Amino acid sequence: MSNGAQKVRLSEIFLTFTMIGLTGFGGGMAIVALVERVCVREKGWISSEEFLHGLAFGQILGPFSLNVCTFTGHHLRGIRGGIVAAVGFILPSFLLITLLSWIYFTYQKLPQLQAALKGTNPVVIGLIVVVAIDMGRKQIKGWGGALMAVAAFCASVFLTLNAAWVLLGAALWSLCSSYFRRRIG
Amino acid sequence: MAALLTIAWIYLRIGLIFVGGGYVLIPLLNHIMVEQYRWLTLRQFLDGLALSQLTPGPLAMLATFTGFRAGGIPGALVATIFIFLPCVVLMLIVGRYYDRLKKIDIIGSTLGGLLPAVVGLVAAAAWNLGVSSLSGVKEFLILAVGFALFKWTKITPMVVILGAGLVGLLIN
Repeated sequence: MSNGAQKVRLSEIFLTFTMIGLTGFGGGMAIVALVERVCVREKGWISSEEFLHGLAFGQILGPFSLNVCTFTGHHLRGIRGGIVAAVGFILPSFLLITLLSWIYFTYQKLPQLQAALKGTNPVVIGLIVVVAIDMGRKQIKGWGGALMAVAAFCASVFLTLNAAWVLLGAALWSLCSSYFRRRIG
Repeated sequence: MAALLTIAWIYLRIGLIFVGGGYVLIPLLNHIMVEQYRWLTLRQFLDGLALSQLTPGPLAMLATFTGFRAGGIPGALVATIFIFLPCVVLMLIVGRYYDRLKKIDIIGSTLGGLLPAVVGLVAAAAWNLGVSSLSGVKEFLILAVGFALFKWTKITPMVVILGAGLVGLLIN
């Protein structure tokens, strides 16, 4: 938005995030991966680096799937863009849940949709892995970066550490190493 | 009207706590919805949790479910808006100052340096999802096909995911 690139229409932002909201089964990182594919890869709306920064902020600020949408929308068209992206993303889930809630409280039964997840979950894992590989190729440079990525992975998987803490630790690590590099160089 | 205001206020507070980390959300909602206000039975709460996992939206869509129970469609709408209000506002503020902050040397280099950790977290999410949902040969096969499609074709991911949902319905 600031670099004077062609303005993306609000309606296009809305429709894009509605489509993402409609298909991002698997929650959380599945949606992030989907947004990355569509907004970074297909449309080139935001650079990979900026997107990852948005994801880092988003993880610290709670529901990161929504936060990434808000951040990308804001990047494109300011506050209005952010709101349009957030609303577009939430809308399909909202309508679906309202409908399912109504069915549930009227008939006291859950619709049998869980089977669909048995198909989408594995595919979504494939998507996240592909996105992680692409991101890693671009963003992980040298041994220091690789070490940090592995450490973050292990902290999350084996220590079940909250993402916010992992990122805080990484920020500290990054701050110290750039400080020392400056002192030496 | 008073009920809607109550719902708005409750979910705004939950949304603010949510900012600190989504992990506390489920016990907190359970406490408020089931024990404090008695809008739901425990059974209904757990069913709602299952429902909200079916949908693409964040787990907080549970707010829609419990809001619906507490106040019908207006209740669902109010609950959903107010639970997400704090984080949307905060993300807009972050977005607004991001460009300026990035230009400050020390912040810019710190942000640049922590990107590998973000990548590590993305990979960790794949791992965690895999542990909980890859149970048989069928799932691994779907995973392999999905990986290949995403990696080497230009098919838009939405189509692949919807297709996989259909496959899931058919084979289970």
